[in-house]
Amino acid sequence: MSFVAAQILNGIATGMLYALMGLGLSLITGILNIPNFAHGALFAVGAYLLATVAVAIGNFWIALLVAPLGVALLGLAIEYVGIRRLYAAGHDYQLLFTFGLALIISESIILIWGPIGSSYLPPEVLRGGADLGFTMYPKYRLFVMLAAGLLVFATWLFLEKTRYGAIMRAGIENKEMVSLLGIDIKMLFTVAFALGAYLAGIAGALIAPIRGLNPSMGVDMLGIAFVVVALGGLGNLLGAIAAGLIIGVAQALVAAYWTEASTVVIYAVMAVVLLVRPQGLFGIR
Amino acid sequence: MKRPFILIMVAIFLLPLAVRPAIASEIWIFAIFGLGLNLLLGYTGLLSFGQSTFFGSAAYVAGWLMKIHGVNAFLALGIGVGVGAASAAVVGYLCVQRSGLYFIMLTFALNQLFYFTAYQWTSVTGGEDGMPGVPRPALLGIDFKDPLIYYAFVSLLFLFCLWLMKRIVESPLGKILQAIRENEVRAEAVGYNVPRFKLLAFVIGGAFSGLAGVLYAMLFGIVPLEAISFVFSGNVVFATLIGGSGSLYGPVIGSFVFIWLSESMSTVWARWPLLLGMAFVIVVLFLRGGVVEAWHKLSLKFFLRK
Repeated sequence: MSFVAAQILNGIATGMLYALMGLGLSLITGILNIPNFAHGALFAVGAYLLATVAVAIGNFWIALLVAPLGVALLGLAIEYVGIRRLYAAGHDYQLLFTFGLALIISESIILIWGPIGSSYLPPEVLRGGADLGFTMYPKYRLFVMLAAGLLVFATWLFLEKTRYGAIMRAGIENKEMVSLLGIDIKMLFTVAFALGAYLAGIAGALIAPIRGLNPSMGVDMLGIAFVVVALGGLGNLLGAIAAGLIIGVAQALVAAYWTEASTVVIYAVMAVVLLVRPQGLFGIR
Repeated sequence: MKRPFILIMVAIFLLPLAVRPAIASEIWIFAIFGLGLNLLLGYTGLLSFGQSTFFGSAAYVAGWLMKIHGVNAFLALGIGVGVGAASAAVVGYLCVQRSGLYFIMLTFALNQLFYFTAYQWTSVTGGEDGMPGVPRPALLGIDFKDPLIYYAFVSLLFLFCLWLMKRIVESPLGKILQAIRENEVRAEAVGYNVPRFKLLAFVIGGAFSGLAGVLYAMLFGIVPLEAISFVFSGNVVFATLIGGSGSLYGPVIGSFVFIWLSESMSTVWARWPLLLGMAFVIVVLFLRGGVVEAWHKLSLKFFLRK
């Protein structure tokens, strides 16, 4: 019983990270109207940056602050230099561009950090387990749940309660109207891409102490982010959380009994959901 | 219409003189793969980023049957076409109900489903090491082990596929698909069942991909895990786009350029995907519209300056 409970908690922790990935992707995809195949690569950069900075300066917390900001900056540069010039091009060329970026980034990761994966331990304070009454549970994963929950909440506050967030939601609905109202739509696109990159980066940074680092982590997560968006809907915060948690928990439960199937199950769950509800969980657009 | 055909015939005869027969065969196999994608991408306006699902599934199933059960080449190719079409029907059914960016993401996500299945099912697929030992069985007494004879066989099949695809895109079905590409709402309003036609395009494209997959497995004697991964899906999209998705011959030119490029790059540097990624970025930023248009631009510039 406590084993199953612990697995469900594991699923919630990773599911929250999946939700962060999907949320960031759905902001980028929804506002910029581009397929971002580099989203997984941004996630991987977040993980590698965290480990590198944390080892270099010996402080996990500063690294957790710095690494995602680094990824956001990278996102800013990508939008400003490349994607900005492609809004008028078709999805095919946008896809090729972001896919090319993903290749460049993941190959650069191999060149810089080597082809072999490595592990990274959580900070001293968060090592070991905490007694939850029904089960002992790793402290770091509890921290991840809390941190990811706070981030999702902060994103919600930003989107729903601030003026700029309202503009951003309007941008998902109707770009022409937003720009007609005198709002700098180019700026909005840049901000949205940087914010999405930040969310991918921090998801990567948070997952590094759980899953370790390896060069293929980016593309593996890219597929998962797509699943979250396909099920949850573009720009749908609640949908991203629900989809993230569903596949996270399903994956953790299957992993407990049939490890080999733990990745396949994510996509199988998606296929089954789409079979029943082709429009996704909440059926928008 | 006549000129491209003559050019292709010339290329078929000259290619084995310029490169190894294996590379020459790979070019026409990849062209068949590209023809299948272009029915979706160029003619129906569906950007599928999961074509390796059909290519790889067919290669694994037919390869395994040839290896374990000694199935003959003719049957294996037929089975490959069937598996390609069937897997495309499954994927297509789930994807055609969504459009735009959702569609693209779904084709990729379902590609991942097949990829991870192959990755974990090591007892059959060999996982990361690939499935070696795929034979090249004789057909009607002709020994395909000779690389040049196999090349001739691949070339013939390619010509047949090109002819067939030309017939398909010029048929009423092809016109309906193009109508869907141009204006989906209007095609629906005129009375066509749009999702069903999209699904049909998927199945036909999948059959072409499946044929290419089996030919690929027989060519190299192995089904590498990449054959069912996003890498191959991306490569065929890239090849088709650099050739120009607007024409029937685009993917043929594209696979010519792509295989030649990748074969020469991959022998130089193990990290060649980095160069490939840069090529993607450069093509998109500076050479949109494919080789044909780039050539046009270049020659215009050249002549205008004079």
